[in-house]
Amino acid sequence: MKRPVLTLYCLLVYAFLLAPILVVVGASFNAGNFLTFPPQGLSLRWYVTFFHNDVFMRAIRTSLWVAAVATVISGTIGTMAALYYVQHAGRWKETVRVAMLAPLLLPEVLTAIALLFFVYAIGIGTTTMIGMVAGHVLITLPFVFINVSASLESFDPSWDMAARSLGADRLTRFRRIMLPLIKPGVIGGALFAFIISFDTFTISFMLKGIGTSTLPIQLFDYLRTNFTPEAAAVSTVSIVLTLVVVIVSEKVLGLRIHRF
Amino acid sequence: MTEVSIERLTKTFGTARAVDGISIRIADGEFISLLGPSGCGKTTTLKMIAGFEEASEGAIRFDGKDVVNVPAEKRDIGMVFQNYALFPHMTVDQNLAFGLEMRKIAKPEMRSRIAKVLDMVQLGGYSERFPNQLSGGQQQRVALARALVIEPKILLLDEPLANLDAKLREEMRVFIRDLQRRVGITTVYVTHDQAEAMTMSDRVVVMFGGRIAQIGAPSDIYERPENLEIAQFVGQVNLIKGTIIGAAEAGKRRVASVFGEVAVDSREDYAPGTAVTLSLRPEAIELRPEGQGGAAGKVTARYYSGSIIDYRVALDSGETLHVQTFPNIRIAEGDRVSVHAPADGFWLLGAAK
Repeated sequence: MKRPVLTLYCLLVYAFLLAPILVVVGASFNAGNFLTFPPQGLSLRWYVTFFHNDVFMRAIRTSLWVAAVATVISGTIGTMAALYYVQHAGRWKETVRVAMLAPLLLPEVLTAIALLFFVYAIGIGTTTMIGMVAGHVLITLPFVFINVSASLESFDPSWDMAARSLGADRLTRFRRIMLPLIKPGVIGGALFAFIISFDTFTISFMLKGIGTSTLPIQLFDYLRTNFTPEAAAVSTVSIVLTLVVVIVSEKVLGLRIHRF
Repeated sequence: MTEVSIERLTKTFGTARAVDGISIRIADGEFISLLGPSGCGKTTTLKMIAGFEEASEGAIRFDGKDVVNVPAEKRDIGMVFQNYALFPHMTVDQNLAFGLEMRKIAKPEMRSRIAKVLDMVQLGGYSERFPNQLSGGQQQRVALARALVIEPKILLLDEPLANLDAKLREEMRVFIRDLQRRVGITTVYVTHDQAEAMTMSDRVVVMFGGRIAQIGAPSDIYERPENLEIAQFVGQVNLIKGTIIGAAEAGKRRVASVFGEVAVDSREDYAPGTAVTLSLRPEAIELRPEGQGGAAGKVTARYYSGSIIDYRVALDSGETLHVQTFPNIRIAEGDRVSVHAPADGFWLLGAAK
């Protein structure tokens, strides 16, 4: 503790970031009927209610499904775009980058409305999940792109040349040399994509089909008419789910890559 | 084993000619260095031999077969890079196995070949290490082993010692040279370090501006340089003014200079009376205390560096000489000296400009 002022400052920043989460988690164990903090007695009753609530269960399944599909698509397209950007874009590099990051710069609500018009104009509509998944892919793409191109920039071209001199064709070089070496970027990007998709409201709200609902939308719906600690229980579960995804991916996919 | 023949090889980038019509024949098992300053086209030439750079014109033949249209992965070359380019996510063993897997070598043979080559580069116990757990010199030897284990037709090395410190660099020179002799593989080595090229090569190819300035044995390049630029690139040189007197015995001319009349080696013939430039290597000159004949001069500076002493000597005739001697002579700064140069220390560079 050589720098008390700096330490205090950091603690305050952490408090600012984490306090709301702690309040939500705390409120979810409330025994009373209203969403208040500090909780009035401790109980798991609102978790029981939540887990027996079909509407929420359906919404959470939809959210996980959409996030998983969007992550796979976004991860694939984003990685390919990053490969093109770093290795072949040449003088179009800056243009490609701006285009790929455009979804970050536009207000999400504009993207959502534009997409809504678009899916109706081309006749897909919102009766299927296609529109919503496309929307999720669109807003998660920049995160995959940024992460993968960052790890590609530190990929030494002489690794590829060495593999060529040893007799490896293009596909083998990608599979055995490049992919393992940019894996941290791909996994990082995919994690971002999953979390952002799981969390997004605006896109889902505009593009969801009638009768389907993701968790954030369902929660919003619920809070319009109810104010019970069940909402806090839902939030807590969604926080835990996000953490689980991050930790599991890190352990299962990520551990071996940190050896160099 | 393989004989390499490069014929009128050219590489253009836009209008610039990075490599301009060079031809080299490399004998089976020969160690050739491409030596030159940066931008002289030596690395581009190496990349064209490897197949990483497309030749604009000309041919590259391995044992008579033109490989210009063969992609790098099918040329069967072993390459060592300046930054080693070891795969960081693989162990030493996996790095070495990679090329063998590409060639579909059976497991038992793979094991024995890896063990043999690791032994050869003296890294027997290191097969399970990752590259970042090795020192620079060890990584370099792994890179060599990885290139050699596939038993390629030719070995290409791109400034492989540039990232090592001076002492290790000297050790590695000898190491690579001995290894190459033992394996007997045709080798092309790119460097800008003349001492490296001299120690290791059978022949040195000096390149300037995309063209070959001279090809020859290291002693040829050093003792009989084609021109001043080469002489200066491969070492330090004193330039002495002289006048042709006439022919001497085979290949020599009698030249008068501040050192008197000497018979000097020359490639070309010159008419008597022609003003010429002689080169005189610093280590060929002998300094004696004043009054012992030769050219008279005065020591203006003395730099002691252990194995040798560097002197600057101002001759009474106006020339300044750079002299290198063993440190066993007792001549100090400011002393007047007699400067002697043996006839075979001179080389006739050409007509004076």
